[in-house]
Amino acid sequence: MTMTTQARLDGDASTIGRPTPQVNAQEKLTGRALYGGDFRTPGMLHLKVLRSPYAHARIISIDTAAASALPGVHAVLTGDDTPDRLTGVHRKQHRILATSKVRFVGEEVVAVAAIDEDTARDALDLVRVEYEPLPLVHNMDEALSPGTIEVHESTGNLSIEYKVERGDVDSAFARAALVHEATYETTSQYPGYLEPMATVAWVEGDGRLVVRASTQTAFLQRNRFAEALGLPVSAVRVIQSTVGGAFGGKTVEECNSLICAWMAYRLGRPVRFVNSRLDDFLGARSSPAERIWLKMGVDNQGLIIAKEVKILADCGAYEGLATHVLQVSLVRSDNMHRYLKDVRLHGRLAFTNHPPRGAVRGFGGPQAAFALNSHMAELAEKLGIDPVEFMRRNAVRAGDTTVHGFELGSAGLTECLDQVSEGIGWITKKARRPDTGLKRRGIGFAGAIHVSGNREMGNWDGSIVTARMTTDGRVTLSTGESDMGQGAYTMLAQCCASELAIPVSHVTVLPTDTDVSPYGHGSIASRVTILAGNAAIRAGREIRGRLLALASETLGVPEGDLTVSGGEIFATSALPNRRLTFGELARMHIYRHGGEELRVTATYDPPTFLAMSRPDQYGNVAPGYSFAAQAVEVEVDTETGQVEILETFVSDDCGKAINPLAVHGQTCGAAAMSIGWALYEEMKFQDCQLLNGNFADYTMPTAESLPNIQSGIIESLEPNGPYGAKGASETAMLPGAAAIANAVYDAVGVRIRELPITPEKILAGLREQEATAAARERRHA
Amino acid sequence: MRDFDYLMPETVGEVSGLLARLGDDCRMIAGGTALLLALRQRMVTPTHLVSLARVRGLRGITYDPRDGLRIGALTTHAAVARSPLVRQRYPVLADMASRLANPQVRNQGTLGGNLCYADPTTDPPTCLAALEAMLVLGSARGYRYLPVTDFLVDYYASALEPDEVLTEIRIPAPRFDFGYHARFHRTAAEHRPLINLALLARRDGDVVGEARLVVGATTVVPTRVAAAEAVLAGRRVTAALAREAADIVAEAIDPVSDIRGGSAFRRDMVRVVARRTIERLVEQDSEGRIVA
Amino acid sequence: MSRVTIEVVVNGQPHRAEIPARRLLADFIRDDLFLTGTKRGCETGVCGACSVLLDGEVVKSCLSLAVQAEGHEITTVEGITSGGELHPLQASFAEHGGFQCGYCTPGMLMAAIAILNESPSPTEAEVRAGLSGNLCRCTGYVGIVESIMAAAEKMRGT
Repeated sequence: MTMTTQARLDGDASTIGRPTPQVNAQEKLTGRALYGGDFRTPGMLHLKVLRSPYAHARIISIDTAAASALPGVHAVLTGDDTPDRLTGVHRKQHRILATSKVRFVGEEVVAVAAIDEDTARDALDLVRVEYEPLPLVHNMDEALSPGTIEVHESTGNLSIEYKVERGDVDSAFARAALVHEATYETTSQYPGYLEPMATVAWVEGDGRLVVRASTQTAFLQRNRFAEALGLPVSAVRVIQSTVGGAFGGKTVEECNSLICAWMAYRLGRPVRFVNSRLDDFLGARSSPAERIWLKMGVDNQGLIIAKEVKILADCGAYEGLATHVLQVSLVRSDNMHRYLKDVRLHGRLAFTNHPPRGAVRGFGGPQAAFALNSHMAELAEKLGIDPVEFMRRNAVRAGDTTVHGFELGSAGLTECLDQVSEGIGWITKKARRPDTGLKRRGIGFAGAIHVSGNREMGNWDGSIVTARMTTDGRVTLSTGESDMGQGAYTMLAQCCASELAIPVSHVTVLPTDTDVSPYGHGSIASRVTILAGNAAIRAGREIRGRLLALASETLGVPEGDLTVSGGEIFATSALPNRRLTFGELARMHIYRHGGEELRVTATYDPPTFLAMSRPDQYGNVAPGYSFAAQAVEVEVDTETGQVEILETFVSDDCGKAINPLAVHGQTCGAAAMSIGWALYEEMKFQDCQLLNGNFADYTMPTAESLPNIQSGIIESLEPNGPYGAKGASETAMLPGAAAIANAVYDAVGVRIRELPITPEKILAGLREQEATAAARERRHA
Repeated sequence: MRDFDYLMPETVGEVSGLLARLGDDCRMIAGGTALLLALRQRMVTPTHLVSLARVRGLRGITYDPRDGLRIGALTTHAAVARSPLVRQRYPVLADMASRLANPQVRNQGTLGGNLCYADPTTDPPTCLAALEAMLVLGSARGYRYLPVTDFLVDYYASALEPDEVLTEIRIPAPRFDFGYHARFHRTAAEHRPLINLALLARRDGDVVGEARLVVGATTVVPTRVAAAEAVLAGRRVTAALAREAADIVAEAIDPVSDIRGGSAFRRDMVRVVARRTIERLVEQDSEGRIVA
Repeated sequence: MSRVTIEVVVNGQPHRAEIPARRLLADFIRDDLFLTGTKRGCETGVCGACSVLLDGEVVKSCLSLAVQAEGHEITTVEGITSGGELHPLQASFAEHGGFQCGYCTPGMLMAAIAILNESPSPTEAEVRAGLSGNLCRCTGYVGIVESIMAAAEKMRGT
């Protein structure tokens, strides 16, 4: 089904494909946008939590008397005050505050509500908690060793295990001309949104709970609050505040909103809970660290014909979305290889006493892409072929059904490879004589696949958009999906405006309010453009159809002779006065017998398959698959081990760039985040305690530490996509780390298989090289 | 932050009196950039803050050829960087101040506050040690003078007596024609220097007359490496000499070891930074190697 | 609780307020003056989301007590529009993708004003150095740098 309808549009009205400033620019640029912590209501209290200083300990006693007695303190509550039901995404194991034992440093133990933040913080200093430390589960290897203490009883510290096998893997490896195996390790990345998580919650006069939160997933949050508090879903209302970045961290795993909702419900008073940055480092879900063992077999044509993957991933102390993350790491990247039929996958997710891990931009993709692209570069070298050519030879194409059942309506991987090669000057740079001085340049590249949408939460991956035309002829859109800065609202406004041939400024997109917005899963899995975009187009067309019908009836002109342009409908031929404005039509739509407000609801649920319902995970999970590639030129200082990125070019196959300004922005931001993960960011733990939970010591990329990232767009025109578009928010996060690792190898011959790529590791690799060379010389002498 | 009283005395004597009376419960506040971090994390919980904002005589930059440069302790880093006096006569100091931390901290933080906080991972102490800065410490008992290297005694610890105020930083009249303050970050995204190294020298062509070399940020206090200075003195600068002196520097210092870098790595990097800085004494090629 | 009285001019308007001595300048601006455009993003003075102009110079309002601003003039993001018109930097940020989530944006705008005050024709390297006290997670800084360069050109009238 193709929805390319631009031909029907009039003149210059459409902004589809044109750089379009964000629809919320005015409020964000003038400081008027209200983020989670900017909002307040009369009588509002301020919440702070006391977190566990132990990674694993029994709670012996909690003395809250002194804290409760502090003037200005309204409540000092502990786990015993929380509802005793356990909640969680799948496995129900989490209570709002810890009871009986704590499982990670930072786990929420006591919550205080007071007249202001300072008083709440003063009260925390007065709470006395006695703990009995327990042995730690330090890491995932220890977790799964026999005899290790359990983080959760009767789990064996195994959260989930996947085993998938397709074809005849052993004979495929036996057929292979070359087999290579290696192990890669990735570290946790903190999402690093600039707005620490913040919530305001209160109880309305009718007893209903209202939660105004910074969230990507208002409806999923509503479901979660209702479950945790034992309330009917209808008694909970979630309103999305302006979201100051999310990157996967503001879905259904963070606990700020849950604790705030519970406290407000319990006290019957408005409560605000704004995370400090340390709160956020300790309470947010960072990405799971994974150890990925890869074995790949290639035939004598350089085609990948066999693959085996084993992943051990660190879930941390509680299970949330990490099970899905692991599934993605395990399965998705195989679908880049056109000729792969025989594959064996084994994934295990282990509970440890690290903070819980979960969804972060890329959702398991970055981990797998680092391993895969490093591995493919190693294979290409062994094969003696150019790595870009190696990936191109194996690249899936539109029309393919992949090894795990992905049906590719569009696939721009090859075009991405071509574009980044051209962009960075791959051939020229590759042909250059290797540098031999103190600073050596090298180039590297990587490619990746990602989903646009993912049928994974029950058998619906739809999106609903409600459009109302007000009596001035303007449109208001409601959606359950969120704009966290990625430009979703602008995209929706563009789609709807385009269908109605009105300026984007005539469309207002409302933040999600679960009481009035249509149901939606929210902004996850790069799903909003392809799903909500289609729904917005349908809504726009439906409005247009109704306007045309009414105009035709009113003007007495057949619809086919009417033109829609500039917010008016008029007869195409010779009758200049026979025209009606959208405003006039919207009024007529109401003011007539049986009239009603011009309001439509449109849904798009893609023709995809719930693969997670099958043990073998087979099936077409997404209506579209995005691709990306990145090429990097680095300069490695052989004396300091420092890596400077001289140049980088990232290409994103987003199907069609509805708003190139937003797509470039997403691509550059994602690439920056991957550079941070590869070179600069490392959550440092000692005995499961985070040592650098602040921005001074957990160093995200600064303006000075990044090159001017160049980004390119590939428009593969996805048949399922709105005007051909797919998701563009996550894919470019995937290739960066491996591209840098490959470039470092090209520069100095040191292969880093463990992220992050630190100066110390590079220097160690160079020393090893020298030692090997020296030993060789001695042998020859 | 815990609650505190905020006091605003107007003379050094009043400040000193308050400090003497309130003792450990009291902290001075100048720009506040460092103190605020500690207060907000409740690492320090004073009952009183003594503001220096209204105290007379703590501002301004003056120069005379006999006494050299005098910088009031409340002078911000940005003011040091902008001062024509400093730029003309002590370009190494102006350059250090102009690249310190970030624009906001340069506008808010003061030179005196930086020294009193004695945070080893900052730039001014190293640079000022190489410039042989003398600090003026005032109290109700009078004034005393202390070289900055004697003032900085340990990790976050200075020789400031409980009733004393740092009022002025004095730097002798310049006698070096070369100055460079090297700042080394472990990665480009880090905010604090892993190592800094200040080198001052008098040169006659490519022969070093006299040198001052101080390493900081990676040692608890700035460390002057006299042995390296001695090796440089009277020698023609060559790649070999730079290596020789850098080895002396690397061996002479006692690097800290923490989550930002182990001591062996730090020592290796000090060697590299020292050699590269010394090579700056003479003309280099694009790779940083000495020409000739 | 220890309280102090301060007089400050914020966005051209004089204010006199009695506040707790421990109130941060950022909290004074946000909670007492209701100017929530100024953001708090960290406790370590690194992120720069709280940046405001103090007597025309960019500072971090989370690294200062409100009482320290006594007698000074403060400009926040709310004070840089004139007569309902966006500041050229604000307009440029919209046009060139200088923001996404918008949370770092008020601080970025303040840093950008300081950059252009210092040098009306900055190089890209100078712009990046001028942003070293401000973090953004969304843009990779590409759009921000472009926005500032473009605004500089426009403001120079070339």
